[in-house]
Amino acid sequence: MIEPVTAGAFDLGVACLVGLSFVLAGLVGWRARPRNRVGPLLLAVGVLWVLAKLPAAVALPDGVAVVRAGAWAAMFVHLVVAFPAGRLGTVASRLVVALGYLSLTVVGTLTALWPGAGPGRGGAGVVAIVGVVVPGAAVVVHLTVRWVRSTGPRRRQLSPLLGVAVIAAALVVAVKPATIAGRDVAGLNAVLQVALTTIPLAYLAGLLRRRIDRAGVADLVVRLHRADRPVRPEIVLARTLHDPTLRIGYWVADSGRYVDTGGHPVTPPSPDEPDRAVTRIDRDGKPIAIVVHDRALLEEPDLIEAACAALGLVLENERLTAELRSRLRELAESRRHLVRAAEAERRRLERDLHDGVQQRLLSIPMALSLAEAVLPDDPERARSLLREAREAGLAVLDDVRALTQGLHPPMLTERGLAGAIRELATLSPVPLRIPDDVPAGLPAEVETTAYYVVAEALANIAKHAAADEAELRIGLRAGQLTLEVRDDGRGGADPASGSGLRGLAERVAVEGGVFQVESPPGRGTRVRATLPCG
Amino acid sequence: MRVVVAEDNTLLREGLVRLLAEVGFTVAASVADAAALLAEVARHRPEVAIVDIRLPPTRTDEGLRAAREIRRRHPETGILVLSQYVRASYAVELLDGGARGVGYLLKDRVSDLTEFATAVRQVGNGGSAFDPVVIDQLVGRRDRPDDPLRDLSERERAVLALMAEGRTNQAIAARLGIAERTVEKHCTAIFAKLSLPSRPDDHRRVLAVLRYLNG
Repeated sequence: MIEPVTAGAFDLGVACLVGLSFVLAGLVGWRARPRNRVGPLLLAVGVLWVLAKLPAAVALPDGVAVVRAGAWAAMFVHLVVAFPAGRLGTVASRLVVALGYLSLTVVGTLTALWPGAGPGRGGAGVVAIVGVVVPGAAVVVHLTVRWVRSTGPRRRQLSPLLGVAVIAAALVVAVKPATIAGRDVAGLNAVLQVALTTIPLAYLAGLLRRRIDRAGVADLVVRLHRADRPVRPEIVLARTLHDPTLRIGYWVADSGRYVDTGGHPVTPPSPDEPDRAVTRIDRDGKPIAIVVHDRALLEEPDLIEAACAALGLVLENERLTAELRSRLRELAESRRHLVRAAEAERRRLERDLHDGVQQRLLSIPMALSLAEAVLPDDPERARSLLREAREAGLAVLDDVRALTQGLHPPMLTERGLAGAIRELATLSPVPLRIPDDVPAGLPAEVETTAYYVVAEALANIAKHAAADEAELRIGLRAGQLTLEVRDDGRGGADPASGSGLRGLAERVAVEGGVFQVESPPGRGTRVRATLPCG
Repeated sequence: MRVVVAEDNTLLREGLVRLLAEVGFTVAASVADAAALLAEVARHRPEVAIVDIRLPPTRTDEGLRAAREIRRRHPETGILVLSQYVRASYAVELLDGGARGVGYLLKDRVSDLTEFATAVRQVGNGGSAFDPVVIDQLVGRRDRPDDPLRDLSERERAVLALMAEGRTNQAIAARLGIAERTVEKHCTAIFAKLSLPSRPDDHRRVLAVLRYLNG
């Protein structure tokens, strides 16, 4: 009834074409992506649109007629807001869609209550205008905000349809009140119909482009097999998936983290980053890499999957390279630290020798020659000088002992690793259970590192763990020494915060080993080191 | 009292021999390695063998192993181990066969002639003489709930520590600045708290020290 029943056959034909375009696009979309609701929504809009334009066979009550005429618009609101996922993800989107349906119901009900208060005549007319303008404006604002806020790949996905939808919604807002008021706006109406038709066309174009993206994956495969120089998977994947922000993190099992090809750590996005998402790539049940990408790509998981599968071996190779680089970086880092530590140690030694040992040694011959000089005249003074010399000698001994202990644990020299560990167990305030068969005959540097691991772990247990007992496991398997110190204390040790544990990690890394600390709060601490021998 | 000395550094060995002779010991033999030590001890059966831990050929723990061998073969010979460092676990090993006639001192202690002579005599008489540093190490680890010394008072612990160093009641009294009678009372209390059987006092002292050091 909003369009006069006497509308010409031409107008009806145009309206049917518009409806048909929606129906066809909906069917194609539904078939291409059966789980996405955009297809059915397009179909519904098309059907309702044609329904609204067809001349009524029988005279309908005013309320029903209004609903028949406006239903397509409410469904249209639903369609554009739900695009492209087909779901209403946010509260705002749900509110806007609800507003559309609510306006339709309210206008229909009010018209039914005051039949005869038709378009252009007072109350219900105003209600109908408000019912169109308010949801229309809400849609325009909502879409604009969404577009402004969205990221690159998402915009690429949204732009064609949203652009047209905004124009269409704006036109509806402009045209409808005029038609409701009974004015002739045939020109604007034609523009509206054209604008509406472009929506299914834009949608179909989007589907087509996805096909092209798939073709891009095929292209990727071809390029990989033809590549005469190394391929950077990150660049290739970013280009194929049209996401310049895409990053790949390769799994490094040793350190339990993901790194980029330079060996720098890649952290998966936190849940507060609404635009970022992660896709993990496994092979034979083992993680290979994570792809950190724009959330919009999640709607095409098969595309990412296809692209990653195409990269296949290249990814695995790149992962090995990344792992190697990460190790090299760690090694370079720990070597730098060790060089610095050795430098500091040499300075300390020099200072200790100079200020302590040398000065005290000097005082001994001085006291002795003085004693020699005064002996005939003052034997008492000579005796006290001799005592002084003796005490100075003992003090030098103390200094030197402290120095040599610091250079290398003497217990290792005297008794090897087994004896040195027994010594540590004897001195530990927390009882330490040790195995009877500590491996012997290991390379000296492995023994020293193993000794420091146990010593530092025990020192930490004594200081922080509040443990009742501790246990050492140590064994030689396949040319690797594995040792583990565990306690039943309070846990919560952070290897990054304590300089002791960090120093150990570096020491172990320099030996080419692996160092791990597990310390869940309340469940004890486990310090583990694996050292290659030979 | 007859002693045998094992020390590989010639200067130190000669020095030790002269010091020991100075304070009235008879040095039956002085040797530079473990094999010679075992042979001389078997030949002379001295009251005390004074042994450096690091002896040739490897200069690691040959002296300590020889010391344990002497304890096994000649339990009547006291062992006084000397070392540049003091290791708690070595003390535990030495105490493995009981605390009778065992001593373990830092080499530095040699410089105080009187104290050193007392320690050698103590070991020769079946007592024990442990370096204060060893005692600190062994007792410092004690926070364990099964510590037999939990019931001892501060003073009693101090008396026991000095006992472990091989000091007589008189020396303990002098060191702590209390009367000898008071030291005797503390000793009785210590023996009672450690439930040591009523035996000649010397033997109980050794048992108390063993209990003290072994934790």
